[in-house]
Amino acid sequence: MADPFSGDSARKKSDFVAEVVNHTLHDLVIRCTKTEEVRNYYHVSVIGYGRQVGSSFAGPLSARNIVPISEVADYPLQVKSSYKRVSDGAGGWVEIPVRYPIWIHPASDGKTPMCEALARAKDILHGWLLDHPRGFPPTVLHLTDGESSDGDPNEIGRQIMSLGTDDGAVLLFNCHISTRRSAKIEYPTDENSLPDGFARSLFEISSKLPGNFLAAAAQLGVNAVEGSRGFVFNGDPSSIVQFYEIGTSLTGMTPYRWMDDRTELA
Amino acid sequence: MSSVKQSVNLDLQLRQLLLPKLGQEVSECEDVIAIDLPACRFAVADGATEAFDARKWAERLAQQWVQRHSTLSPEEFRNWVAAEGRELHDSWNGLSLSWYAEAKARTGSFAAFVGVELNLKSESPSWKAIALGDTCLLHRRGDLLIKSLPLARSESFNNAPILVASNCALHESSMKSVVIDSGNCESGDVLLLMSDAVASWYLKCFENDDLAADDCFFTRSDNELTEFFDEERLAGRIRNDDLAIVRIEIKERSIG
Repeated sequence: MADPFSGDSARKKSDFVAEVVNHTLHDLVIRCTKTEEVRNYYHVSVIGYGRQVGSSFAGPLSARNIVPISEVADYPLQVKSSYKRVSDGAGGWVEIPVRYPIWIHPASDGKTPMCEALARAKDILHGWLLDHPRGFPPTVLHLTDGESSDGDPNEIGRQIMSLGTDDGAVLLFNCHISTRRSAKIEYPTDENSLPDGFARSLFEISSKLPGNFLAAAAQLGVNAVEGSRGFVFNGDPSSIVQFYEIGTSLTGMTPYRWMDDRTELA
Repeated sequence: MSSVKQSVNLDLQLRQLLLPKLGQEVSECEDVIAIDLPACRFAVADGATEAFDARKWAERLAQQWVQRHSTLSPEEFRNWVAAEGRELHDSWNGLSLSWYAEAKARTGSFAAFVGVELNLKSESPSWKAIALGDTCLLHRRGDLLIKSLPLARSESFNNAPILVASNCALHESSMKSVVIDSGNCESGDVLLLMSDAVASWYLKCFENDDLAADDCFFTRSDNELTEFFDEERLAGRIRNDDLAIVRIEIKERSIG
């Protein structure tokens, strides 16, 4: 994650991923906001893995494994200020001040203990499912930039996919990002186009995209069809953004467009 | 139930019902009914639950619209909504908001809206309506559904309708979806203004040749009508949503 994306030497992958995750959390909070109240439609975990496996939340939420979205809203690590360019409604543009929070810092050290990280996710899911047996099934969005350094993740992935609520199985989606200039493969329906055993292993532990997710993909112009797996291989920066937008579109809402022309102040 | 003389020949008889979601208080209801009987203007607005200050926006739209004597052309409507939206946004100035409420307020508020004006005084009694979103006007004559707007089929309702935005920056695209229509009125006609969940249910009943949807208004008191719609929502035949219904029946004027 300390490497840049290919063709983008100025930007570390870890910086970009942290920005996408922070924007995804921002998006989830906004979706749950009703005037000044944040309703707990979601509980969120953010697990990072490298030198250590554990919660990536920093600040007041550090070390918390799972957090109701209202607490995510109220306890960011920091709230930054910037300007955003918006339409003035009369054909022109104006810049307005905006505040945006961050919850996690970029991190990029150590190996890739994928099995341990997925096992941690499974433990958190197990606890949540005991308390919410009839809830909307949880979604796990797993992002990695390399092969597992602690074994084949297939078994633990299958265990996660076997969990569920009365409403259906846990959804596990995987996005592999690469610094190589290899062709990206997005939301395949079968293994034929996959280049190696690692790709096939991740494909096998990727759930099929349900209808709402397919609709979100279509709105983003992503080519996903009935039977597509929630799986990206050799993804680029736009793949990551779309992966999180599609993966959090469980309500059928239009994916929140956060890629605006913001100018950071502090 | 109220009755108002409108012309030499025609009266109108009015019935209305406003119910919050099951398990919620009336104060939480984001559907709004507004009526100006002398002007013969009726409106229903449905504030988008996840929007900022949605109830106030729905109230403003419905209550201000019935008091006006125009806003039945696209241009008038757009200008009027823009002015109302500015006043709403101005009312938020000075509020100390969290970062997320501030972000929500920046996007503005949203509501579905339908308004209808009746003209029963002319030789050819008529109505004219304007709608944006999924609150509907239905015009029924006997067993025929003459018009339903802006949506005409139960399967047309979804969870992403284009709504009336308080933020005029969003009007360029949304106002293209405004629907304006008109029709003639005869004695015995029924006009119904309904928010989305109950409109979808009513249309589905009609598509299935089930007359229960309209019969319930004849046979039930207000309390019984409330119980009826609670049961329909409990049974899942109507989605558990706020319900707003205005039923306008046009009748021959009684002599004496």
